[in-house]
Amino acid sequence: MTAGFDSTDIDHAAVSTPDMSEVPPHTVGPLHESPEVRSQRMKLLSETAVLYVVCICAALVLSAIIVELTGGDSGAVFNALLDGSLRGPGRIGTTIGVATPLLVVALGSIISNRAGLVNIGQEGQLFIGSAFAAYVGARLGGPGPWVVFVLLVASVVGGALWAGIAAALKYRRNVPEVLTTLLLVTIAAQLAGYGLKVQWLLLAPAEGRSNRQQISKQLADDTRIPRVTWFGNEFPISAIVAIALAAIVGYALARMVWGFRLRMLGHNQRTAHRAGVSAARYGSGALMLSGAFAGLAGGLMLAGGDFGNYTLVPGFPSEIGWTGLLVALVARQRCSAAVLVAFVFACLRTGSGFLASTGVERRITDVVQGLLVLALLIPPAWMFLRQRRRAMASSEDRT
Amino acid sequence: MMGSFFSAFFDVLTSEAAYINALTFAVFLGFGATGEWVAERSGTLNISLEGMFLAGAFGAAIGMDQSGNEGVALLCGMGSALLVAIVQAQMSHRLVANQFVVGLTLNILVLGLASYLASELDPVTRKSSSTTIPLLSDIPLVGSALFDRSWLFYLIYPLVPFCWWLVYRTRWGLELRSAGENPQSADVSGIDVNKRRRQSIYIAGLTAGMGGTYLVLAAVGQFEDSIVGGRGFIALIAVIFGGWTLRGTVAGCLLFGAVLSFRLSLPALGYDVSGDLLASLPFVVTIAAMSIFAARVRPPRALAQPFVRGLN
Amino acid sequence: MAGDLHHDLTSTTIVSQSEVGPAGPASGGRVAIRLDQITKRYGAVVACDQIDLELRCGRIHGVLGENGAGKSTLMKIMIGLVLPDSGTISIDGTRTRLLDPTAAAAHGIGMVHQHFSLVEPLRVWENVALGDSGRLRPAEVRARVGEISERYGLDVDPDAIVGNLPVGVRQRVEIIKCLRRDPSILIFDEPTSVLTPAESEKLFETLRHVVVNEGRAVALVSHKLDEILQATDEVTIMRQGRVVDHVKTDQTNASALAAAMVGRHVSLRSERVASSSHSTQPAVTETSTDDRPVALAVNGLRVRSHDGVLTLDDLSLHVRAGEIVGIAGVEGNGQRALADVLSSLTGLDAGEVLVGGRSVAAGVAGAMAAAGVGVIPEDRHDSGVVLEMTVAENLVLVDATRVAKSGVINRHQLRANAERLIAEFEISCSGPDAPLFSLSGGNQQRVVLARELSQQPSVLVAAQPTRGLDVGAIEYMTECLRRVAASGVGVLLISSELEEILDLAHRIVVISSGRIIGEMDRADADLGRIGLLLGGQAA
Repeated sequence: MTAGFDSTDIDHAAVSTPDMSEVPPHTVGPLHESPEVRSQRMKLLSETAVLYVVCICAALVLSAIIVELTGGDSGAVFNALLDGSLRGPGRIGTTIGVATPLLVVALGSIISNRAGLVNIGQEGQLFIGSAFAAYVGARLGGPGPWVVFVLLVASVVGGALWAGIAAALKYRRNVPEVLTTLLLVTIAAQLAGYGLKVQWLLLAPAEGRSNRQQISKQLADDTRIPRVTWFGNEFPISAIVAIALAAIVGYALARMVWGFRLRMLGHNQRTAHRAGVSAARYGSGALMLSGAFAGLAGGLMLAGGDFGNYTLVPGFPSEIGWTGLLVALVARQRCSAAVLVAFVFACLRTGSGFLASTGVERRITDVVQGLLVLALLIPPAWMFLRQRRRAMASSEDRT
Repeated sequence: MMGSFFSAFFDVLTSEAAYINALTFAVFLGFGATGEWVAERSGTLNISLEGMFLAGAFGAAIGMDQSGNEGVALLCGMGSALLVAIVQAQMSHRLVANQFVVGLTLNILVLGLASYLASELDPVTRKSSSTTIPLLSDIPLVGSALFDRSWLFYLIYPLVPFCWWLVYRTRWGLELRSAGENPQSADVSGIDVNKRRRQSIYIAGLTAGMGGTYLVLAAVGQFEDSIVGGRGFIALIAVIFGGWTLRGTVAGCLLFGAVLSFRLSLPALGYDVSGDLLASLPFVVTIAAMSIFAARVRPPRALAQPFVRGLN
Repeated sequence: MAGDLHHDLTSTTIVSQSEVGPAGPASGGRVAIRLDQITKRYGAVVACDQIDLELRCGRIHGVLGENGAGKSTLMKIMIGLVLPDSGTISIDGTRTRLLDPTAAAAHGIGMVHQHFSLVEPLRVWENVALGDSGRLRPAEVRARVGEISERYGLDVDPDAIVGNLPVGVRQRVEIIKCLRRDPSILIFDEPTSVLTPAESEKLFETLRHVVVNEGRAVALVSHKLDEILQATDEVTIMRQGRVVDHVKTDQTNASALAAAMVGRHVSLRSERVASSSHSTQPAVTETSTDDRPVALAVNGLRVRSHDGVLTLDDLSLHVRAGEIVGIAGVEGNGQRALADVLSSLTGLDAGEVLVGGRSVAAGVAGAMAAAGVGVIPEDRHDSGVVLEMTVAENLVLVDATRVAKSGVINRHQLRANAERLIAEFEISCSGPDAPLFSLSGGNQQRVVLARELSQQPSVLVAAQPTRGLDVGAIEYMTECLRRVAASGVGVLLISSELEEILDLAHRIVVISSGRIIGEMDRADADLGRIGLLLGGQAA
């Protein structure tokens, strides 16, 4: 290894080499599950569950304490969060609208994580994706659905290209992708900011905006993603697309040769290389695909209507990229779980809109979210360590 | 175009104000980068440096607001950043949660907490006054940039050699380096690898706390939640740019400090450059520098690899 | 003493314990450390079962046993890395608890580790100082290194970077690191695996010096019979976590030790080798393979490692179909690089690889495997398996498309393929869906073997294929390699165990510093000549 370092799994189980090899030959392998072993496993499972509950409660209690200490009313905050996300009329639709890009971003991170890559630049990839979409949306003529399609494709391309920079630097110049994807977030924001200052890029024509406002041209009515209404809750149909994508990604990773190779690469790069999986090819593919998903999320946000009212403005991604990454982490890199987690995180976000009435600053939801994620990192890490100690013990005697 | 580039370059080189700006940023980066260098030598990589800076700045602002004393503010800043470091260290080097994930989450958490608390508490601070060192501050061009500063600035002078001494001349440093190069061997030799790593992160937290305090009291004068604004990452990368040597890290801080200061210096000298593009310059330069140097330098062998006995 | 009695009644020793037991007048020096009824369990596994062991000052005590016999756990207990569940340890007659390595060091116990104790990028003196306590005084440490290296003839420059030193010198550093603390008890864990025969001789001289002139107690842990016979005064034999025998070295012989170690009579490789080199009949009774086509040829391979060291230096060799070519050599002389090249893991600075006469691009992902080169890697965890994936998946790593249709893996085929191979290669696991890490080392090795052979390779590279395996697994692997060769595959056997090569190979080449320095047919080979070559001398 010349430079950089091996990026580990972004999942907590970075150290997931449960190497229990070399069990002394005089043992009966741990294979035939005796009742004793099974009861032990059940015990482990219930312990894990308890640990999760304890950690989540601790995070919530800590958040409540912070609110109370700063003179807020934690009960009111909790109610406001519920009202804003689920109980208020039509709020579920809004929450679904927010959950959609979160899920799409999370799916992308799951893909790059499978390949053992640490892409933490979704926020930037998303911004570039939405900028590409805004550019195309403002200029392309033709039938509405066609424009929507092309602008979404543009967002995919934008995100993929932005992640592609990190991929190229990793596989050509050995620069760790953790750092490049991270740095590219800031650069993306500044590039988009620049684009929103000049008319030949993104800035809307002078009419219909105040003088120094940085805003892109609003998407025309027929170039927006259609919205549906179910039981009084309105959301863009892209939500359904996102669910479908979750199913597809889940299937591709679990069943297809491509997913198989990606997993191989993620777990053991040398074995993969020997077996014909080139890290450069599959790795950059996964990284770019991950960026493509983030970019797509940006396109969906722009054309979906829940963010920025069909226009691009500075700060447009509003941390959907970061949060989407956290969704993937909390979902432990499983597509099905990501659907649920994305919804929960979207609840926190839409709920925060109702906090003004309680007099508590809405940034508290960032605190709750951060504490929750930290809390959710603890149980798997702790269980891993325990399992590891056991495995170690049984392999202690290798010579 | 080229002509104006060179004239700008020349103007910057000969402007006393440009040096002051550059060193303001360089020293801010230097505080964090020096501690992070120690931490990386032990094989850890703390993305939470950004959060540590912010926690330090916020803690210092609160300390200043409450006590009005800069010394107390410094202690508060270092304490707050240490808190972040403790969470990072315990989560990723006692438990083995992925250090990038923990770092990232901490950054988000600290940002949320700082902006929430800042809006609730609204700390008021004032800018630290400078202490002029006679004679030395009269050196042309760089004299006032180096020796006419807040006392917080001067902390960097002993800090850098101290960290060097710590890493290369003490037993603790030897054990730390062995933990970063070959944790298995260190373990067999009777060294508690993860303990050393945790301790090194505490060092990073303390120095980042100094950096945060310096930033809020000496450089900006008022706390805002965007005060660090991604520059923690640049400090982190200064270490990598410096090829994991202290000398290189300091050079990296000076370079990145200079680049960061262009946004202030160039318009002040009458050059009209788009703020957004200029603001992205340090990040672009960083990426370019990494892509040039990453292949040549040798990182600590176990950098960013968690240690669990018997793994690997 | 109840334990001793118990032992006497149950063990069928050749020389019963009481004859050399603690009270025996003939046993020489004072007892330095005494382990009494030490037991260590890991779950259902008993790694050490009521072990008694005594190390005496002025004597070298061999601890002999197969991999997994419990030797390592026992030694780890002695240096405080592992705490026993029950039993007592007395040092100089006082009962002691060794809670961690520092405590053990304080009691004068030092260990020379087989691997993993030196930090390569640090200097020699820094490594020597590692693990001490108190202020770091570089000048003192340097002086001490010089002093020790002079006294024991362990020539080392204290300011050299360890990573730049050859393996033999690194071991000297390791020994100095251990001796620096002036331990009264020294434990050597498989010390000769990285040494040439000549270096081993030198090591045993040092050992003798330490024991005879300075009255230290030494434990020599090994699985090599000849080493135990050559260097020790007495020997304790362990099997399956128990002490099965304890004899004086001069009252035993190789086959008795082997029988005790394995628990049944085995035909020793060294015996097979010895008998075959005395008779005119080669170990392998096949006809000449000279007229067979060349399966693998490598010409002028040159590989430079990342730090600029030439790991392969103009290396050329060929393997004919049906032939086993053994590469003999001390570890660290380019074997790894050669295996890496043939696994597509390293590119070449010069030279070419021909498989069946066709040139194969080096370093291109999967190219070697696709060209028909099967590999049993030296470290299967490094490049042979994916521990987190299932047995079935590991069996199709190289070519998953075999069980897939238009990019989608067919689970039935995957399973069927796995079931067939599990049966054929007698892989013991709970089923195709068992994660690979749940298998024992020997069975993981069989998974690799099954996969590589199911690809129907024309060349099989086997790097240290029997390392870390127990006797049964070794026999299986050996038999398998013979069969594979007989079926017309060219086998390249890379091994640091000379006997393994003498036992299996038709033709032997000797590697040193990345080049081939000697080649001979099995019939012309003998240990002496190869030994000289290994030491770098032309023969």
